[in-house]
Amino acid sequence: MTQPTTVLSIFAMFLHTTFGESGCTSADGTLGDDEPDNFDIDCFSQLEIKDSFSSLTCNFTELSPYNTNYTLSLCTKEDNNYACSNMKKQEDVFFLQFIDILSNRDVCMYSETKRRVCRSLVVTDIVKPEVPFAINITYEREANEYLIRYCTPHSRKKYLKDKLVHQVAYRQKEGTWKTIESPYLQIKLLGKNLENEASYEVKVRSQPNGDYFKGIWSEWSTSKSFWTAREQHSTERYSSVVMVIFSILGFMLSVVMIALIIVFWKNRIKPAVWPNLPDHKKTLEQLCKKPKNNFDISFNPESFGYVHIHKVDGLWAKAELENFLQTSTAPETSLPEKFRSGSDAKVSPVMATKPNLNLPVSYEGLWPAEALCRLLGPSQFAVTEGSCGSSTYEVCHSNRVPLHSTGFNLSSTCPLGLSGQPHPEPLNDDTGSQILPNGDMRSPNNEEAYVTMSNFYKIQ
Amino acid sequence: MFHAFFRSTLPVLPLLLVLSPVKASSCAMGNKPTEIRVKYENILSHDINELVNMSAENRDRCCKNNKKENIKVFFCNDTEEIESLQSMACNMLRFYNKQRISKAFRQKAAFVSCGTLQVLQCKCERPKKEKVCSHVFRIEDTETSEQSKKKCSQEVCELKENISSLRSCWNKFEKLISR
Repeated sequence: MTQPTTVLSIFAMFLHTTFGESGCTSADGTLGDDEPDNFDIDCFSQLEIKDSFSSLTCNFTELSPYNTNYTLSLCTKEDNNYACSNMKKQEDVFFLQFIDILSNRDVCMYSETKRRVCRSLVVTDIVKPEVPFAINITYEREANEYLIRYCTPHSRKKYLKDKLVHQVAYRQKEGTWKTIESPYLQIKLLGKNLENEASYEVKVRSQPNGDYFKGIWSEWSTSKSFWTAREQHSTERYSSVVMVIFSILGFMLSVVMIALIIVFWKNRIKPAVWPNLPDHKKTLEQLCKKPKNNFDISFNPESFGYVHIHKVDGLWAKAELENFLQTSTAPETSLPEKFRSGSDAKVSPVMATKPNLNLPVSYEGLWPAEALCRLLGPSQFAVTEGSCGSSTYEVCHSNRVPLHSTGFNLSSTCPLGLSGQPHPEPLNDDTGSQILPNGDMRSPNNEEAYVTMSNFYKIQ
Repeated sequence: MFHAFFRSTLPVLPLLLVLSPVKASSCAMGNKPTEIRVKYENILSHDINELVNMSAENRDRCCKNNKKENIKVFFCNDTEEIESLQSMACNMLRFYNKQRISKAFRQKAAFVSCGTLQVLQCKCERPKKEKVCSHVFRIEDTETSEQSKKKCSQEVCELKENISSLRSCWNKFEKLISR
């Protein structure tokens, strides 16, 4: 009887020994069944809260039923050991600053009995960003929009820069909140969606965008209020459009005016507004123009072979002969020679074809009788109609050699200004001994013209 | 016949025992390239940039005069980028206790080295070096930043060279795993 009892007691002790430790060490180190194998804590991390240091903040969601003091630690598994850092208790939360956010972490709860319960923790999955600040609201009148801008401390830091999404909440006074999310640091509220002349309130918060960093919303920023503008009337809009158009037109007109002034300043505007004072020197230079380069200036008679050169004894005679010879268009021979041989067959082509006498129109003096007699001779001439009419001309007056009326017909109205004195005296055809009249034999017209010249000379 | 058999096969076994540790990597291949890439892009790259900026603040003139013969050069070998990064990181850890280097600079350098080993899941051959990482990661509060030492020293030049090699090798490796 005692042997089976001994065996049974030994067996019971064996069972107690082998299964006395209730539960087993799990992979995460959870152990003990008289202690909670799991604990409810809420933790969040804040990256770069102070220089390069990040922080972990945890609190118990439920009070421990055992009413014991617990401590929390942030541990890192190194080989088979745990390297832990105790979290500091601050009122109801546990707080710890650390630098390593790459390693896989565990948060362990230590009880007074030195038991340890751990839970795995990924620091980058429980990120709580810092609160946004500096909300600024600007009203854009033309677009009727409200631009809301804000700042975040993470803009100046490394990890969460451009990795956040922001939520803007707005409401009318005591109304319901409406939210808008944006990855940027500004949003626009349309004026047409808001009431006119009303007070609105705005606040902002941030959260990791979830690409790598995950977490929870930050705390709300301080609210900022603003008033919406009154309704823009259509007339105001119209007037603003008209103002814009007018200003553009005015600008273009001013540009065109400036361009025109610049272009025409020198040639037209300045001479009209600020005329130049006459310069005596320049005026005199213009009057006394230098001869052209191709002007023939030479005192060698041979170089003027093509020009009729008539020997002159007096000023008036030269003018008479020159004009007369020019009208007859005798090429190379002088007029006296021509008429000397009045019966000569060698006559000017003009005479042969057109036995006309073209007297120059510009002659204003009186033909001397001797010159005419010598020139004309007994030849029959008819004055061209172009220069004079074909009518009888009687130039010789009492003190002159008369002309034959048949030898020479000239219009009394000849523009040469010849005197129309009716002296039908024949013209002496002996031109060899003709002597050009001297100054005493001048006609009154020649004297008059000479006087005029002399008068001019006297004035000079 | 048996003598010949044993004579031929017997030396092979010691040879295998000798050679096998050489090829064995001290880096656990548990971290997949994707995980390495995201950790590098989102966290480690920023710290490396910060370290490079700190290195640039140190005077460079004295390092030009220093002989580069004594400076150990690390190469980022093709197909062995992880091993090259591991050796660079482990080498940088030895500067943590050099008093001639400013404290902030060597702490940051040690932090980057430990972060590299953490991301690659590698260990150094000498276990003593890894204790530095425990110390570095357990720094709980910022100490008062002392004025950076203006003196030029051989260690500073070596550390600058090491930092430059580490950054280049990471850039190369990151392009490789991003494909």
